[in-house]
Amino acid sequence: MANMNLYSRGDKLFVIVNMVLLGLFTISTLYPFIYIASLSMSTGFEARAGNVILTPVGFTLEAYKQVLSEPQFWISYRNTFIYTIGGVLMSLAFIIPGAYALSRPQLYGRRFWNLAVAFTMWFNAGLIPFFLNMRDLGLLDSYFGIIIGFAVNGFNIILLRNFFEAIPQSFEEAARMDGANEFQVLWKVYMPLSKPAIATVALFCIVSRWNGFFWAMVLLQDEDKIPLQVYLRHVIVELSDDEEFATTLLTSAYSFETVSAAIIVCSIIPILLIYPFLQKYFSKGILLGGVKE
Amino acid sequence: MSGVSLKGIVKAYGALQVVHGIDLEVQEKEFVVLVGPSGCGKSTTLRMIAGLEEISDGDLTIDGRHVNRVAPKDRDVAMVFQNYALYPHLNVADNIAFGLRIRKESKETIASSVEEVGGILGLTPYLERRPADLSGGQRQRVAMGRAIVRRPKVFLFDEPLSNLDAKLRTQMRAEIKRLHKRLGVTSIYVTHDQVEAMTLADRIVVMHDGRIEQIGSPMELFLNPVNTFVAGFLGSPPMNMVNARIVAGDLGPVAEFGDNKIQLDQVASLQNSVGQDVVLGIRPEFVTVADDTVPHRVSVEVDLIETLGSEALIHASLQGDPFVIRTETVGQMNVLDGISGFTIAPHLIRVFDAKTGVSLPGQAVGQ
Amino acid sequence: MSTDPDFTGPTTENLVFDAAEAQRRRRGSTLVRIGDHLKREWQLYAMLLPTILWLIIFLYKPMYGLQIAFKDYSIFRGVADSPWIGLEHFNTLFNNDQFLRAVKNTVIISFYSLLFGFPMPILLALMFNEVLNQTFKKSAQTIVYLPHFISSVIIAGIVITAFSPSAGIVNTVLGWLGIDSIYFLTKPEWFRPIFVGTGIWQEAGFQSIVYLAAIAGVSPTLYESAVVDGASRWQMMWKITVPSIMPTIIIMLIIRIGNILEVSFEMIILLYQPATYETADVVNTFIYRQGLQGGQYDFAAAAGLFNAVVAFVLVMTANTISKRYSRTSLW
Ligand SMILES: Nc1ncnc2c1ncn2[C@@H]1O[C@H](COP(=O)(O)OP(=O)(O)OP(=O)(O)O)[C@@H](O)[C@H]1O
Ligand SMILES: [Mg+2]
Repeated sequence: MANMNLYSRGDKLFVIVNMVLLGLFTISTLYPFIYIASLSMSTGFEARAGNVILTPVGFTLEAYKQVLSEPQFWISYRNTFIYTIGGVLMSLAFIIPGAYALSRPQLYGRRFWNLAVAFTMWFNAGLIPFFLNMRDLGLLDSYFGIIIGFAVNGFNIILLRNFFEAIPQSFEEAARMDGANEFQVLWKVYMPLSKPAIATVALFCIVSRWNGFFWAMVLLQDEDKIPLQVYLRHVIVELSDDEEFATTLLTSAYSFETVSAAIIVCSIIPILLIYPFLQKYFSKGILLGGVKE
Repeated sequence: MSGVSLKGIVKAYGALQVVHGIDLEVQEKEFVVLVGPSGCGKSTTLRMIAGLEEISDGDLTIDGRHVNRVAPKDRDVAMVFQNYALYPHLNVADNIAFGLRIRKESKETIASSVEEVGGILGLTPYLERRPADLSGGQRQRVAMGRAIVRRPKVFLFDEPLSNLDAKLRTQMRAEIKRLHKRLGVTSIYVTHDQVEAMTLADRIVVMHDGRIEQIGSPMELFLNPVNTFVAGFLGSPPMNMVNARIVAGDLGPVAEFGDNKIQLDQVASLQNSVGQDVVLGIRPEFVTVADDTVPHRVSVEVDLIETLGSEALIHASLQGDPFVIRTETVGQMNVLDGISGFTIAPHLIRVFDAKTGVSLPGQAVGQ
Repeated sequence: MSTDPDFTGPTTENLVFDAAEAQRRRRGSTLVRIGDHLKREWQLYAMLLPTILWLIIFLYKPMYGLQIAFKDYSIFRGVADSPWIGLEHFNTLFNNDQFLRAVKNTVIISFYSLLFGFPMPILLALMFNEVLNQTFKKSAQTIVYLPHFISSVIIAGIVITAFSPSAGIVNTVLGWLGIDSIYFLTKPEWFRPIFVGTGIWQEAGFQSIVYLAAIAGVSPTLYESAVVDGASRWQMMWKITVPSIMPTIIIMLIIRIGNILEVSFEMIILLYQPATYETADVVNTFIYRQGLQGGQYDFAAAAGLFNAVVAFVLVMTANTISKRYSRTSLW
């Protein structure tokens, strides 16, 4: 399929039209990000007047100054890091040993335990009982509550379990003959052999932690504990309804719109930084996970 | 003494019993090979000895210690796996050292042991390589290295050569034999390749459907199989089986089938079995080909002759059933011409009960 | 096998006897065996324990808590001690216009997402497959997968900014066309198109991965023989690629239908306003407002239970069908 010269005229036309259409779709995906980035670097006046189309108009970084000088921004940013790092470590601490145990044929009641995990993906008690349970456990308004309350997830366990299952049993047996106990088998053999799968799960966790806002919004009232996404929602969604507030924010240098755009840019950057890894592992992970019971 | 003793060993998966009570005494330094058709329970037995499978019933003793409930790592045995199970993320040296590290041996001990084992197995140039960068034979050697480095009391092998091509297999077979001579460690070796079994074993254990059919030295099993199963399993091409009836003849018992008669050995059990239906076991190697001029021959119809150089395989039919003859060709120019039958010495024929397949007692071919 | 009484080898009766005998001996020591097993393998159970405990505390205990759907729940009495009131909440629920509206909206929004959102990733995968220039293909893929990883808050922020009446790019463009600026997010008739469109924009690229994988699994020899037969690329796409990935398409369709109640309500919470509740309010946002914002926990839990049971039935049905269809289940 390499040499274009071998193609008939119809085929050439088809390939070109296809490429153009795909290009358009790609541009329309990319455009909103460019638009937001340009907006964040335009002056408030131009933004408000709707003059920003593609590139910054009246280039200024005032909006960023405004965002970065807001203490709540930094508090939320720090909190998001705490939730993300703490959450990922917590998740892996549960999921890796759990998935390993579930993958072992010698585990009694293996089918039952696996079903107990899978069932949680099919049936969910819902928002209210989960919330009341968190409240009864005293995990409202608590860092620990957010970190532990979302540590385990059936899909990730099953993804990793499938990967462990695909590793020949004889590795475990060889290591046991060599004198390793189960923890050493996992730590010294199965984990090094499962780096891609573990990376996939870790990235799943990072993304969902970084992006999660709903439960943080519900479970956290204390502003000192809210993550970036909740702060973002507060600024972008709630304040945008408030035309009066938006107008008071307007100066010639920045406006509500440019400030919103600047916060968005600031919170996307970490995701963009890990995006190359995401792309590498996620497609694998999706395919790994979606295969079998 | 580092022997292994199995008494009434049973393995059941739930209600399904796959090993039905095995008794086996392996002497110190002995090389015992378990053979049998696929699914007969060889691996299961070996893995119970290793401690990788729980023993459902019976007693297992290693070196005089009852080890039914002892963890694999505390049994002081090492195992070589069919797929080698080399850790792909570790290089050869680290693979060999893995067990020593887990057992927290000192750095110096580890280094010197790895070096020594590498030397023994000719792995010294490859110590830094990953398993993926090794040839099949080298991987096989690393797997052996990992087993011998710990100087265990017993080696267990589960079809260690079956992933190699024919030539390498022959070579590694000889190497395993040499290694056993050198280290003198009690070994139990599973295979379904009878050539491996014959060449490596001090004693062979033939298994069938979770039971032991016969235990004995390779020649014993080859010459004196206790039943038709063992007779048919060992030897290549396998023993010919001919249905016959024992009748009384002038010189003692005679086997009669169709128009043919063969003189049998004059042992009591055969003499007393006149009138019984039997199966004659005739090894392809033990017959002498004959042409029309030879009297008292059993006549066969030759279908096809395969010449292999120093010997030839003659595929014939005896009263409609296939019958194979193996004959030497060296120094016998015209041996393959005009074959119309064979003769055989009475004591080389094995006679089995037609109903049970068990060898009639008293027949024995000395070595 | 023989019935000869003298025969001492393994007869069928002997086999049966052996097995029964061995089993009898084993059964007596079941406890011992379990004890042995635990002694050998306790570490495995130690590894499993945290996960199981977590599931019990955070997912199974709330299922027990679902009983408040049948109770007059009071915070002070707790889940167990609140009095039973039977199906009263469900009665109220099915006479509640807002709830019925939410059910209707859930189904409609899902249906539109399916109708417009389902073909898109397939189309994209087919188009990617026809691209010859690998650099172009890689960069385009990199870009179209990206929105999947962006949080719904940010996506909502972008939507709000882009559709804002004063500064938004959409109204700017409309202005060029001489159309008066529209405050889209307060208009019920605009909510569904914006929501569904945003969903497609965010997920279509990423969802195409599944189909690209299916396409990658098609044997190249099929194409090679088609080339030899003189087929055009267009023909090969329709005659080879599409039929080859049809099983995947059908399974994905079954799964999507099974998940019809799964509307990304987080995004709706971010985008809707009282003015658009009429078309935007779905079951989960209804539960959120009634329960978490309004404090009617028992009533909202009843709505949640209804939702969960219907969803469970749908998902299990879809899973069964797709299993039968493909012998691979959902997970
Ligand atoms: N986990 C298990 N559950 C149920 N039956 C099993 C299990 N493992 C093995 N078996 C059965 O036990 C019997 C013996 O298996 P085993 O692996 O010991 O055979 P084998 O002699 O090693 O055969 P091969 O030469 O093919 O390796 C087989 O019939 C097999 O199906
Ligand atoms: Mg085997």
